[in-house]
Amino acid sequence: MDAFDILGRIITLTLFAATLRMATPVLFATLGGICSAHSGVFNVGLEGLLDLGAFFAVVGSVALGSPWAGLALAIVSCLVASLVFAVIHLELKAHEIIVGLALNLFAYGLTNYLLVAILKATGFYKSPLIIGFQPVNIPLIERIPIVGELLSGHSPLVYLGFLGVALAYVGLFKTPWGFHLRAVGENADAAEAVGINTRLMKYAGMLLSGALCGFGGAFLSLAYLNMFSENMTAGRGWLALAAVNFGEGRPLKSLVACLIFGFADALAIRLQQFGLPSQLVLMLPYVATLVVLILSAIQRSRKAEQVLESPPPAAKPVEV
Amino acid sequence: MSSKARLKGLLIGVAMQAANYALILIMALVVGAAVILVSGKNPIDAYIALFQGALGSPIKIADTLDRSSVLILTGLAAAVAFRTSVWNLGLEGQLYAGAFAAAWVGFSIHGLPSPIHITLCLLAGTLVGGLWGLPAILLKLRWDVNEVVSTLMLNYIAILFTAYLVAFPFRSPTAFMPGTETLDATARLPRLMIPGSVLNIGFLIALAFAFSVFWFLYRTKLGYELRMVGFNPRFAGYAGMPVRRSTFLAMIFSGALAGLGGAVVITGFFGRFISSFSVGYGWDGMVISLLAQNHPLGVIPAAIFYAALANGALAMQSATGVPQALVVTVKGTIMFFVTVQFFIAFLNRRLRQWMPSTS
Repeated sequence: MDAFDILGRIITLTLFAATLRMATPVLFATLGGICSAHSGVFNVGLEGLLDLGAFFAVVGSVALGSPWAGLALAIVSCLVASLVFAVIHLELKAHEIIVGLALNLFAYGLTNYLLVAILKATGFYKSPLIIGFQPVNIPLIERIPIVGELLSGHSPLVYLGFLGVALAYVGLFKTPWGFHLRAVGENADAAEAVGINTRLMKYAGMLLSGALCGFGGAFLSLAYLNMFSENMTAGRGWLALAAVNFGEGRPLKSLVACLIFGFADALAIRLQQFGLPSQLVLMLPYVATLVVLILSAIQRSRKAEQVLESPPPAAKPVEV
Repeated sequence: MSSKARLKGLLIGVAMQAANYALILIMALVVGAAVILVSGKNPIDAYIALFQGALGSPIKIADTLDRSSVLILTGLAAAVAFRTSVWNLGLEGQLYAGAFAAAWVGFSIHGLPSPIHITLCLLAGTLVGGLWGLPAILLKLRWDVNEVVSTLMLNYIAILFTAYLVAFPFRSPTAFMPGTETLDATARLPRLMIPGSVLNIGFLIALAFAFSVFWFLYRTKLGYELRMVGFNPRFAGYAGMPVRRSTFLAMIFSGALAGLGGAVVITGFFGRFISSFSVGYGWDGMVISLLAQNHPLGVIPAAIFYAALANGALAMQSATGVPQALVVTVKGTIMFFVTVQFFIAFLNRRLRQWMPSTS
């Protein structure tokens, strides 16, 4: 078996189909991060929101017997959590990074607590009672040889995710509302001066980011796997943060980053089947993120050097 | 200002801080109680069990102090970084890297006198912990790569890479869980004379470092520069301070302290490196530092408080059936409120009304 043969067995159509699947949860969180970033809030709580979404999606699905009910509960729980985040940051003036980290910690504790307290399980919960999303076959496309295998037969949430990119693009860049939201993030004082309710816009950005993470969390526990486990988000919220950073707020550019992570994730799973040590292979998405992060930073610093701008604004001091 | 007015100002300050912490703690306990009620248990019983599990007897107090050793060190690591406005969220990875290095020195070098062997272990942990912070800070200084994400990615990489090391090349064949061989006896930190407790000199080492970091940040020129850069980098730059050097040093010192924390917990408590041994020591360090308002001496009580929470949690779970994950939600709640400006401003107004200043 030569190298090409092995490569041919690793890189298959299923690998690319899996890439789309694995990119989806990161994509939802990324879109959420983009919304809050445009309103001027650096949301580091994405990881915790995904965690909450994944847990409450399972609870909703078990309690009401439908994946859509699970999705709804996931969205509601993430909305509540991001409302709390928003109130503590915007009204009580706590530091955004710290509130975001607090949200991650709180969500991790709460889901693990409720996992024992409500679902009576330790570590993970898996049960036939969890009704997950069924794959959707797209009528015409499924007949086309290669495209069909690649694009058809995914969970409805995968399609919603990619639709979300288009919606985010239109919403943020082609509507007056999106313009207002971006104005708040760009320069809150100027936006306030022309009569935009900056506080309302920031709330909107945060809540949108919560709702989108609800989709992402529900995808993890009701479409990707039919279960909830501790740490099942596995840092995808952080990957999303890197994708937001890479895309500089543009949904399409961030999508590229999400696809890279999705590919790294899919490749990691594939390589494990070839007997490579899982610990090393699982490092792939994180290494890919670092590379993406570095490339985007190099690109940005080149651009900055070209226009001979002043040095980038310094980080906000931690005031506690 | 007269000395009387100054005393009054100081009293107001102390009272405000005390009231602020009391408020945060009450909020956290109330949220925790609400969560306990969800599982149909009695919050007061649970809190009593938690307290007794943490501080109920001299041995338990000593064990809590032992647990605080690593937390003091990671707390200091966070304090140095946050004081300089370097968002080092990579403490967990630096801790793992340092812990593995210390373990390696501990089980692969033989026949050294104990003090030298211990020193080498701790040095290795410190060095490798600092090195693990290096890529993130170099990327930040060279291309302005956001350190929040890069340090986080390095966490995952460190945890997975050390897990690989102990699963394959360094796996001890006799070990039950994937882990290295046990350290030589000469590499283990000696116990302090409290029968029945695991308390060892790691705690004294941590205390010594807390005072050293305090001295460094508040009594040396280099430390002053770090604090000024953290306070306002532009101002520090205009005043001729080496902003880049300070940022660099803050990250490396921070990583080194986290690595030392890993070394102390391996040589003092575990006795060998076990894959995923840390129950969030690095993450707790950040919360501890924030709770201490990033002050090195404040880190000591904050770390002991967190150690008590962690040790009490297990006792609470076995006594009352309330899952120990509750404590994580309580920690999260504390973190939510710890930087709330509102409390301080509100309390300040109130206290000044009650105690009208003379001047």
